[in-house]
Amino acid sequence: MAPMAIDTLMPPLPVREQRSYPPAKIFNVKETRFEKHVAPQPDGRAKALARPDGDAAIVIDNGSSAVRAGWSLESKPRVSLPPIMAKYRDRKLGKTYSFAGADCYADTTARGHIRNAFEAGTGIVSNWDVEEHVLDWTFLKLGMNNAEGSIDMPIVMTEAVANLPYSRKSMNEIIFECYGAPSLAIGIDSLFSYRYNKGQTGLVVSSSYSSTHVIPVLNSKPMLAQAIRLNWGGWHAAEYLLKLIRLKYPSFSGKLNASQTENMLRDHCYISKAYDDELRSYLDWTGLEERDIVIQYPFTEEVIIQKTEEELARVMERKKESGRRLQEQAAKMRLEKLMRKEEELEYYRKLQEKIADANKKDTKRLLDGDDLKDEAQLERRIKELDKSIKKARTKDVGGDPEEAQELPDFSLLEVPDDQLDEAGLKQKRQQRLMKSNHDARARAKAEKEAEKARAAEEERLDRERRDNDLEGWLEEKRIARENTLQRMKERDRLKADLGNRKSLASQMRMKSIANLASDNPRGKRRRGGDGDDNFGANDDDWGVYRQIAVGEGGSDDEDAEEDLEGNLKALEEDLLRYDASFTHEHTWEAQNDWDKSLLHAFMRGPRPFDAGSQAETHQIHLNVERIRVPEVVFQPSIAGIDQAGLIEIAGDILTQRLVGLPGINHDDFLRDIFLTGGNTLFDGFDDRLRQGLTPLLPAGAPLNLRKAGDALLDPWRGAAQWVGSSGWKAATVTKAEWQEKGQDYLKEHDLGNSYS
Amino acid sequence: MAEKLPTEAQIAHQELIDQLDIHSIHKSFRNPHWRPNQRRNKNIKTILGDAQRKEASMAATPQDNNSGDVTPAVGGGGDAENGLSTSGSSTPAQSAGGGGSSNNLQPNLAQASRSLSKLVLEKSLRPNGSGGAGGGGATVSAPSATYTNVESAPSLAHTRRYCDVTGLPAPYLDPKSRLRYHDKEVFGYIRTLPQGVPEQYLEARGAHTVLK
Repeated sequence: MAPMAIDTLMPPLPVREQRSYPPAKIFNVKETRFEKHVAPQPDGRAKALARPDGDAAIVIDNGSSAVRAGWSLESKPRVSLPPIMAKYRDRKLGKTYSFAGADCYADTTARGHIRNAFEAGTGIVSNWDVEEHVLDWTFLKLGMNNAEGSIDMPIVMTEAVANLPYSRKSMNEIIFECYGAPSLAIGIDSLFSYRYNKGQTGLVVSSSYSSTHVIPVLNSKPMLAQAIRLNWGGWHAAEYLLKLIRLKYPSFSGKLNASQTENMLRDHCYISKAYDDELRSYLDWTGLEERDIVIQYPFTEEVIIQKTEEELARVMERKKESGRRLQEQAAKMRLEKLMRKEEELEYYRKLQEKIADANKKDTKRLLDGDDLKDEAQLERRIKELDKSIKKARTKDVGGDPEEAQELPDFSLLEVPDDQLDEAGLKQKRQQRLMKSNHDARARAKAEKEAEKARAAEEERLDRERRDNDLEGWLEEKRIARENTLQRMKERDRLKADLGNRKSLASQMRMKSIANLASDNPRGKRRRGGDGDDNFGANDDDWGVYRQIAVGEGGSDDEDAEEDLEGNLKALEEDLLRYDASFTHEHTWEAQNDWDKSLLHAFMRGPRPFDAGSQAETHQIHLNVERIRVPEVVFQPSIAGIDQAGLIEIAGDILTQRLVGLPGINHDDFLRDIFLTGGNTLFDGFDDRLRQGLTPLLPAGAPLNLRKAGDALLDPWRGAAQWVGSSGWKAATVTKAEWQEKGQDYLKEHDLGNSYS
Repeated sequence: MAEKLPTEAQIAHQELIDQLDIHSIHKSFRNPHWRPNQRRNKNIKTILGDAQRKEASMAATPQDNNSGDVTPAVGGGGDAENGLSTSGSSTPAQSAGGGGSSNNLQPNLAQASRSLSKLVLEKSLRPNGSGGAGGGGATVSAPSATYTNVESAPSLAHTRRYCDVTGLPAPYLDPKSRLRYHDKEVFGYIRTLPQGVPEQYLEARGAHTVLK
């Protein structure tokens, strides 16, 4: 029983203090958008034409994240676009539209038709229609539409390491046949970057959008046979993060896409210097404020109209007014009814008087005139009216109708049946019914009283015990609390077990059902010997019905069969009041609160979560992901890539493949480990690689890492710088050579793939 | 009056789209007679499959042993075929030899029938051998590095185990869903996941069951 004691005697419930939290770091979600129209720039072409023949070229870094193109004479590319296009037909206008690059994002229809030139997650071009479109756009913007019939400039392009011959063949075909370029030179992007950064001998580590490559370079010559590719890059990381977020927030209502996760990676992720150590304490509450990043998605706030005090008062007044009016109306109606009834009563009384004086015939006439059968009925009607008038009066006055009611007439019950006529018998039956009704009501009332008294007595005893023996009383409450917790746990376990058909609980249930259904129940109780198994003597026996009913949607905890949570709360309130050592921190609720939950820290960060707030349901928390996703390049198994990680690859090349070669100083490679590509831009990438490689190398090895000046643009710059050099001239394939020597013809050179 | 008048924003948008559209621009730099092969778009799997089939069929048909160096043009063709080959460096000794003399580049049937991944594995499992031979070649001209054989081999290091849900270190494995988990709270969460979701978690780790 919950304590319902007198308030003055009870110490107040200690108030749980509210914590406040510093505001979270919230970042708005970012994604690739259409910026603005890029106008054609014919001036570059004019400049190139002014140069002596063969001194200028169009340089295209044909990357899977961005195609960067410009003039070899300049220090940076003119245009940069993602290698995508969108083409669709507007039926209403009867016109076909096609867009390339970021222009695709300008229109919703176009966005739905985006196709990528590269095979997803690789550096290999697989959709040549898209590639052509992207090149069309590039040449248009470079002002090549002034040229007649063909691109009249040499072209320098980049391609993936160990590009497939088929895709080189297709690229040659487009460049020479479609665009009619005079010559083409193809090289590897990361080697261009290395050249631009003045590398001679070293290990090029290029982690880009579609893959990660490690290429040893000796005296400016790549050792491509020793190069290794890991199929992990920025694209994979973005897709992986997207997958993780979708799993983390299964019912997220914002629209998630890989372009957003790409931006999250760029802005908030970093490479952990000691992954396992940092990871272990990443979700600890101390410092989680710092580690947890909140990404806010757009949302619409549900507008709750705040009414002013005045308005509220007015509404209240209006409500009261209408209530009063209703009450008045009801009272008026009641009064009218009462008056009508009184008139009627008066009329019937007069009638009765008349009848008393009249003869039989007149009586009959009078009664028939009022649709009455006989005098008895008249009497009944008068009595009824009298009663209802009385009732209505007491109600208006406010007395207790039940008290005022006189005891019904039970006179006939004492009379034996044979002394009664037909009508009398009928009446007797009615009286009997009324009497039992009356008795039952009285009994129920008495029971209620008794229960109240019992509760009060119990309460009193409880209080007495508390006053006399507080410690014992508390101990009792503590034990009761423990028991309740235990039972809650058991209930939960049983519920979980019943979900499993093979669990012990389920099998027991099946057994009980079979037992109850059989005619001669034979169970373990038979061991007792005789027929009576004392079923029901123990209250828990009846639990068998609850057990077998569990399948029906588990409705029985809503029935409040036993309100364990309520019990627990009452017990805990008692303890809070009287036990100084029991604080709010100890309650069951507090122990299961969000600030004890690891999953809460993971999903909602270091603050309470309000499921009703639109802003908070549109938030994504990045914490473990910040180091988990970039880590994959070092431990590909995290994302299920069955390949060695970057450190293992680089270590293998440095310690196994490059050892013992005649005429090669192994240390030269260690002195220049060169990082390039967008995926190496994570904070701590170089530190981590250095830390990983050091234990693999002999003590005192001259390990030196350096980053490209600009990990994104240096491949283009290197290629632009290369134009005009003797190496470029030797590597250039002219249209005539291509026509003569075959479709995938390639001249091997120091910055390109080998012609395998 | 079924037609509604476009709003100002709509007109501006249409203007922008017309400006961005490159379909309607005549591109004078393109060859007007250029008709690309309708089936030129191939994914990597198809390209590799085609190359492998070509190689196998060539190995199966009896070849004139020295047809390769009858005319230089055909020799170029032979080179091109081998360019398609993905097992060019199956044995370093051979390819190093191939670098020296250009006429016996055709791989034999046994080689061609071997699976690519096995070849790649073989290659990377013998880093010393290939390093030695390849190094000799590298200074002159690198032996063929192909798209498949530059791929990194499976890791020989121990893989560490991380919780599929939180990413934290995971000492436990739920035998029912096969998910790894960090502690008992995460386990409770795993057990409440609706059907099919554990499989998605496994997929993120590449450990899901693929039905073929």
